[in-house]
Amino acid sequence: MSRLGLSPPATLARSLGSDGVVPEERLGNFSIDGVVPRLAFCPTYRHEIVETVGWAAAEGLAVVPRGGGTQMELGNVPARYDVALDLSRFNGVLDYQPADLTATVEAGITLHELQRHLASGGKTLPLEAPLSSNATIGGILSTGASGPMRAAYGLPRDWLIGISVVGGSGTETKSGGKVVKNVTGYDLGKLYTGSMGTLGIIVEATFKLNPLPQRLQALTAGFPSIALAVEAANSLSGQVYAPQGIQVVDGASWLGLPADLSDVVSEKDEPVPGQAVLVAFVSGRVRAVERRLSEGADFLRMNEASSVRKLDEAGGRKLLGWVTDLGWERDSGHWLVLKLAVPPSMTSQALSVLPRALEGLPEPGTVADPGFGLVRLMWQQGSLDTTVDGHASVIVGAVGRARALARSLGGYVVVERAPLTVKRLTDVWGGEPAGAEIMRRIKENLDPAGILNPGRFSGGI
Amino acid sequence: MARLLVYYHAKFLSYFRRAWEWCFLVSSLAPGAAARFLDELKAIVGEEYVYYHPEDLLVYEYDGSIDRGLPGAVVLPISTDEVRRVMALCYREGVPVVGRGSGTGLSGGAIAPPGGVQISFSRMDRILEVDTENRTATVEPGVINLDLDNHVHKFGYRYAPDPSSQKACSLGGNIAENSGGPHCLAYGCTTNHVLGMEVVLEDGSVVNLGGTARETPGYDLRGVFTGSEGTFGIATCITVRLLPLPEAVKTFMGVFPDVDSACTAVSAVIGHGIVPAALEMIDALSIRAVQNVMDLGYPEDAGAVLLIELEGLQEEVEEIGIEVEAALWESGPTLVRTAEEASDRERLWAGRKGALGALGSLAPNYYLVDGVAPRTKLTEVLREVAAISERYSIPIANVFHAGDGNLHPCLLFDERQPGALETIIEAGAEVMKVCIDAGGALTGEHGVGLEKKELMPLVYTDEDMDAMRRVRDSFAPHNRLNPGKIFPDGTHYHPPARRPEPGLSI
Ligand SMILES: Cc1cc2nc3c(=O)[nH]c(=O)nc-3n(C[C@H](O)[C@H](O)[C@H](O)COP(=O)(O)OP(=O)(O)OC[C@H]3O[C@@H](n4cnc5c(N)ncnc54)[C@H](O)[C@@H]3O)c2cc1C
Repeated sequence: MSRLGLSPPATLARSLGSDGVVPEERLGNFSIDGVVPRLAFCPTYRHEIVETVGWAAAEGLAVVPRGGGTQMELGNVPARYDVALDLSRFNGVLDYQPADLTATVEAGITLHELQRHLASGGKTLPLEAPLSSNATIGGILSTGASGPMRAAYGLPRDWLIGISVVGGSGTETKSGGKVVKNVTGYDLGKLYTGSMGTLGIIVEATFKLNPLPQRLQALTAGFPSIALAVEAANSLSGQVYAPQGIQVVDGASWLGLPADLSDVVSEKDEPVPGQAVLVAFVSGRVRAVERRLSEGADFLRMNEASSVRKLDEAGGRKLLGWVTDLGWERDSGHWLVLKLAVPPSMTSQALSVLPRALEGLPEPGTVADPGFGLVRLMWQQGSLDTTVDGHASVIVGAVGRARALARSLGGYVVVERAPLTVKRLTDVWGGEPAGAEIMRRIKENLDPAGILNPGRFSGGI
Repeated sequence: MARLLVYYHAKFLSYFRRAWEWCFLVSSLAPGAAARFLDELKAIVGEEYVYYHPEDLLVYEYDGSIDRGLPGAVVLPISTDEVRRVMALCYREGVPVVGRGSGTGLSGGAIAPPGGVQISFSRMDRILEVDTENRTATVEPGVINLDLDNHVHKFGYRYAPDPSSQKACSLGGNIAENSGGPHCLAYGCTTNHVLGMEVVLEDGSVVNLGGTARETPGYDLRGVFTGSEGTFGIATCITVRLLPLPEAVKTFMGVFPDVDSACTAVSAVIGHGIVPAALEMIDALSIRAVQNVMDLGYPEDAGAVLLIELEGLQEEVEEIGIEVEAALWESGPTLVRTAEEASDRERLWAGRKGALGALGSLAPNYYLVDGVAPRTKLTEVLREVAAISERYSIPIANVFHAGDGNLHPCLLFDERQPGALETIIEAGAEVMKVCIDAGGALTGEHGVGLEKKELMPLVYTDEDMDAMRRVRDSFAPHNRLNPGKIFPDGTHYHPPARRPEPGLSI
C-alpha cells in the first residue's frame, strides 16, 4: 500500500514489475496543472493496459493516458487524476507492409521512430507533429496534432485506417482494419482521433502510407507585414505549382531560429520584428519540386517579397521541424498559446482585427497557416507580469474578445497553453461545441464510470 | 398506433408480407390512426408529396441490392424544416424512418424497415453555394455526385470522390455509405472530403456537425457520421471540400493475357512507389460483356485490362508516366496505350465505366460483391474467387478498384431459376470470407446494410459491435433511424418470391 493509500492488484503489480510502477518520489513528473496522480504505471504489454483500466473502472479511479508528454498542458484542469498511464514503453511496430503501404504500431511509438522505420522500406506517414522525437502516435491521434503540410496532406484522421482502444470498462475494441479502404461498421477511428483520451486509451493504430518523397525542400520569403505575407500565401496557394505547405511566421519569432538554421536562411537583410516571413514546403518528385520552387520563388518576388531563398533538403527538413514545433518547445518559455481556427478565407481578416481583441496583452508571436485557417498566437514567459494581481483576468478578457471575434468569422479559439491562474478562469476549449449533447452521450456510453481523463475535454467531458 | 407500425422488432417473420399488410392498411385510408398519420404527413410536405398507394410505392421497394422491402409511405420534403417536422411526427408515433437518395446503394441501406416511412431527397437537389475562397461547396443531400463535380469544374475545381455510379448517386447517399470511387486511390473517400453538415436527428432536432473551418472543437462527429449508413441522422445540408483541377492528366491502358499478370503489374506500379490517381482492373468476362455492347477494340484474347490514371504537374505526370509504362511492360502485357486528350482518355475509360451495365448482355442478373484484400494479395484472392466460380458453377466477372485492393466480383445469375438467389448469396459470402482470411475487409465502399450484417462477426467481436452500437445510441437513443441494418439480428429481407420480369438486380 502506497502512502497515498492506493496500490494496484497483485497480479497487475507483478506483471508491471518494479520498473513498471513509478516510485512515489517521481510522481511529480506526471503532474498536470499541479495535480499529482496517486500512481503512475509504465506498461510494456497490452494486457497490463487492459487490466489497469479494468481495475480503475471497478474502483472508480480516474486514468490519464500519456504518450511522450509533449501536450499534457492541453486541456482543462483535471477533474480527477488518480492513475497516470505512461504508454511510451508500449512502442512496437507490429506490422509493416511496404508493398501494401500500410503499417500497424503500438500507441507509444514516437512519430520520429515510426518515420525512421518506415523510411527503411521507402515509405512515410505524411504527417508532422510538434516535438516528433517525443510525441507518440497515441498522443498525436488523441490530440489530432498536425503540421505545416496539413492543408495538402491532411490530418491524422485522414491516414488512420484501423484502431484499437481500451474503453472505459476495460475492454479492448477495434474499428477498421489493415486495408486502405474499409467501411465495415462505424468509423470509430474518427471519434477517437482528437478525443483527448476521454473515450478510450488508444493501444494500436494502423495507417495507410505514402511513398517517401524523392525530395523535400523549402522556400523562405520576407514580407513587410504579416498581412502582406498572408495575402501572398493565399494567392500562391491558388497556383497549380503551389507548395504543399505555406506558413507565415512573424519577424520576432523568426529571430528565434536556432543558429544552424539562421545561417542557412538569412543574411544582412533579415526581417525585423513587425515584418514577416513566408515559409513554403515542397515535396515530391525532383523535377516537380524544382518547378514548384522556382515558379514559387518567382511568384513571391513579384508579390512584394523582399528576399526569397531556396533551402536544400537538409535545411528544408530542419525548418519544417522548427515551424512545426513553434509554440510547443518545452524550454522556449511560451506560456500562453492560443489557437485560432477560422474558415481559411477568414484568416487575413482575423489577423487584422485580432490586435484590437488582444488589447492589453503584449504583441504575440504568430504562426499562421492561411490555407487551413489556423493561427497560433504565442506569448513568451516574462512578456506579461504574472505577479501582478489581476493578470489572469486581463488575459481571460482578451481571450473572451478573441473568441467573440472568431465566432463572428465562423471559428473558435482554443487556449492551448496557459498559466494555471488563467486555466482556472476559463474553459480552454471555449465552451459548449455544437453537438455537445451527442458528445456527452457518447462519453457516457463509452466510459460509463467516467474514469478516462475526466474534466479535461470540451463541454465538461 | 405504435404497435401497428413498429413491426421491425419481430424477428424471423416475413417482413415483406407484413409490409404489404401495412401498406394496404394505409392505402385503404380507413378512418383511424394510420389515416390521421398520413394526413399529418400531407400537412407538412403537401398532399402530392406523400405516396402510400402500393403502385406508387413499388419503385421505392428496391435499391441496387438484392434486398427488397416496401415502405409504408414515402415522403418527399423540400426543406430541412419539412424534414424536421416529418421526423418529429414519426418519432412521436414510433414510426421508423429511412432516408433515400437515388437508391443506387448496393447493400440494402435505403430499403425501408417494415412499416417505415422513407424520406426521399429527390426534391432537395440544389447546389446552394460554391465558395472558391474556402474551396468548398454546400449542397442539399439530393444533389447528384456528377452534377456537383461538373458544376464546380467551371470554377477550376473538382469534387474528388467519384463512385462509378456518379451519374446517379446522391451526396446524401455518398455520405451515408462513405462512398469511394476510382480516384479515391489518391484522394481518399467521401470521409476525407466532407467538412460539415446539418443533420436532423431521430426526434426532429437539428444539429450542425463540423463546419467550413477545417477542424471544429469537441469530438469529430461529422467524421463518425460519415459512413453511418443512415442510422445516426438525416443529412439535410452538406459542405464538402473541393480540389483544384490538375494541370496534367494521363491515362494508361494495359492489356494482359490473364488476371495474374495484370495483378503483377498492379504490384509493380505500387512497388515502384507510385500511387496513381486511379488504378482499375477489368477481367476477361467483363471485357466480353463490354465488347457485346460496344466495340472498344480490345484484342480478342484479352485476359485483363488495367486502367491507370496519373494526375498532377506536367513534370510529375511525364516522369511517373515513364515508370508506369515500364512497370506495365515488365509484367507481360500484349498492348499498352496512353492518352492525354480528354476525349482519348474517355475512350480508354469507356470500357470500365460501361462494364457493369454491359453485364446485362451476359445474364439477367448479377450480384456485385464488395470486398477488400491487401493489394499484394490480389493474385491469390482472385484465384480463390475463380475457384468459387467453378465450385458453384456461377460465372463471375471482375471489375474493380485494383489499386486499393477493392474487389467487386459480380456473380451472374438468373433470378427466375429456383434457388439461384440463395446460391449466389452463399457464394458471395464465400468471396467475402476469402477477402477477410487474406487480411482484408467485409466491405470497402458499399456498406454493410442488410446485405452483410450477419457476416459482421467475421471481422468484429461482440465487444467491438457493442462499442459501435453505443455510439449509434448516442445519436439515436431510440434506434428509429434505419433500424435493422449493420448489426446481426438473424433477419433478412430477401423476398420469398422474386418478381418474374427479367432485368438487372443492381
Ligand atoms: C452501377 C453502380 C456502381 C457503383 N459504384 C460505386 C463505387 O464505385 N463506389 C461506391 O462507393 N459505391 C458505388 N455504388 C454504390 C452506391 O452508388 C453508393 O453507395 C451511393 O453512395 C449510394 O447513393 P444513393 O444516393 O443512391 O443512396 P441510396 O441507395 O438511396 O441510400 C444509401 C444509404 O444512404 C442513406 N441516405 C441517403 N440519403 C441520406 C441522407 N440525406 N442522410 C442520411 N442518410 C442518407 C440511406 O438511408 C441508405 O442507408 C455503385 C452502385 C451502382 C448501382
